[in-house]
Amino acid sequence: MKNASIRVRLTLWYGLALALILSLFAVSLYLVMSRALREQVDASLEEAAAVAIRTLGEHRFGPFLIFEDLSQDFPEIALLDKFFQIFGPAGQVTIQSANIQSREIPLSQTAFRAALEGGVTFESVQFEKGVPIRLLSFPVRQGDQLVNILRVGTSLQSTERMLHRLLIGLYIASPVALLVSLAGGWFLAGRALRPVHVLTQTAQRIAAGDLTQRIQTPHSNDEIGQLASTFNDMIGRLEVSFRQIRQFSADASHELRTPLTITKGETELALRRPRQADDYRMVLESNLEEIDRMSRIVDELLFLSRADLGEIKLKMLPVQLDDLVREVQQQATVLGQDRHVTTVLNALEPVVVLGDDLRLRELLLNLVDNAVKYSCDGQTVTLSLQVVDQRVKLTVQDMGIGISPDEQTRIFDRFYRTDEARAHASKGSGLGLSICKWIVEVHKGTLSVHSQPKQGSVFTVFLPLSHASRPDLPQV
Amino acid sequence: MRILVVEDEPKVASFIRRALEEESYAVDVCGDGLGGLDWAQTVNYDLIILDLMLPGLPGVEVLKRARAADVKTPVLILTARSEVDQRVKGLDAGADDYLTKPFAIEELLARARALLRRAGGAPTGVLQVEDLILNPVTREVTRNGQRLDMTTKEYALLEYLMRNAGRVLTRSMITEHVWDLDFDTFTNVIDVYISYLRNKIDKGRDRSLIQTVRGSGYMMRTDA
Repeated sequence: MKNASIRVRLTLWYGLALALILSLFAVSLYLVMSRALREQVDASLEEAAAVAIRTLGEHRFGPFLIFEDLSQDFPEIALLDKFFQIFGPAGQVTIQSANIQSREIPLSQTAFRAALEGGVTFESVQFEKGVPIRLLSFPVRQGDQLVNILRVGTSLQSTERMLHRLLIGLYIASPVALLVSLAGGWFLAGRALRPVHVLTQTAQRIAAGDLTQRIQTPHSNDEIGQLASTFNDMIGRLEVSFRQIRQFSADASHELRTPLTITKGETELALRRPRQADDYRMVLESNLEEIDRMSRIVDELLFLSRADLGEIKLKMLPVQLDDLVREVQQQATVLGQDRHVTTVLNALEPVVVLGDDLRLRELLLNLVDNAVKYSCDGQTVTLSLQVVDQRVKLTVQDMGIGISPDEQTRIFDRFYRTDEARAHASKGSGLGLSICKWIVEVHKGTLSVHSQPKQGSVFTVFLPLSHASRPDLPQV
Repeated sequence: MRILVVEDEPKVASFIRRALEEESYAVDVCGDGLGGLDWAQTVNYDLIILDLMLPGLPGVEVLKRARAADVKTPVLILTARSEVDQRVKGLDAGADDYLTKPFAIEELLARARALLRRAGGAPTGVLQVEDLILNPVTREVTRNGQRLDMTTKEYALLEYLMRNAGRVLTRSMITEHVWDLDFDTFTNVIDVYISYLRNKIDKGRDRSLIQTVRGSGYMMRTDA
């Protein structure tokens, strides 16, 4: 039973219940029927006896010797499908109807004794050849004296036959009804469970890797319909995240493959024939650069995957953000020196936010580093920090290569880099802005970009304002 | 043999260029798709090495447009993605061969040789004019069984002459196939290199193989 399918189990339980009900019904029907039939026989016997006694009483119970005379005189008796016997007061047969003829059906002791005391007796006996008969013995009294005993009898054969037929009918009909119902139950259970079967098949196809599959949901909002739509939602989310993962690993392998191609190619080329020491030095320096690039990508990847798993612990303390902005501005000035990119502070309000000092610094550095990297020689990067509507607004603005509108939505995706960005600065992992976005979001802020190609970009960070005025006093 | 390399990653382009130049090919490098397409249509290259991930115009598109513009040069595509569909798209767009990054330098050079050989119609790759034999794989040149040492430019020039044996090659054709874009056409470098070659292969022999065609250029003779 444990291994059987729900369909089999449902059908079997249903069949068992039905078999019980059917048997109960059959037994009760049989009992009620047999009882009713017997009562009917008894009632007809009593009626016949009453008719006989009344008729006989009219003739003062004269001694009729021949039944034919009796039936001639009393045609109503002859019409009855009963037989009559009239016993004398000693229990001997005096008259009996012709349909008994010579057969002996003596008066039983019980009936005789009951008659002596004026009682009526019903008896069921087996006639010869096993024909069942029902007998009614009725005392006929005059005063206290028992004059005759009238016995009326009838064959129970037709009753028994009817009951027998009923029994056979029940024996045949019950299993047939049971079988038909089982088949119907099997069909209905299958029908009810078909969506589950479809669900299973879809799930199997999905398990085989085809996440584009969806379950055909019936338009009903029943249990199966709900299950199917829940299932579809789940697959939808799975499909999205699988696609993201696939895209992510494709991008990751591409980003790692470029430095690998360079190190492999340059090294192989250098080893093809003996070279000057300077050539080797150049190859090693270039390879070192690529190795640094790869380790940065790996570090950033590791950071992001730990961030995804929630393994990065943040120390949320009040941070004096304006100090941080000033520090980063100084670093950016150094970063831009070679290409004469200057970084200036526009508005700078004293602002305290609750956050992780290290991560906020990383956020600022990443944004400013990008701004410097994608500026053209001699341009200016502008930083500003203000309080707007009880929120901290930080902007990093450059006048550089800019981002086209359809690419603006994708730049926060991991490894996404615009063609212009690749062409402008080949270094960069494509992960910086993903990390920035993560940092802003764990600080319950927002990060957005406004940009026009060849005009420059503005990255805007909104962070919640902390009410701590003094950063040296930790508040949580 | 002159080769165009279209590759946006400067370091990758740089080592491919150096490797090819060491094999005495003339190499031009272009860093974006549109520029690459432009060059491929302007200069009669012997081979184009094309990266599929390019800024501006994707490599597959460059290839399609070049083929549509009747550029018949063999094309070797480079792809950072080992995914099949990228290669299939590239090959369907008219590429002759592909390499996935990272690749071995020797494999790149071997595939380049194979494509050049196929275009030249010499199945084994070994070029022979009378008793002068040039093997592009070992880069060995012999005449009458005697080994001749060549500089890379001499070798490139000889290979070009031998591949086109029996045809008159003008100075501008030689320039286009043996020298790269940095070549100054107003010098007599070609005549100088021809004389170097003559010193090595023809000097002191009964038959001179390199002939001067007056007013036009040079020819490697094939008639007996």
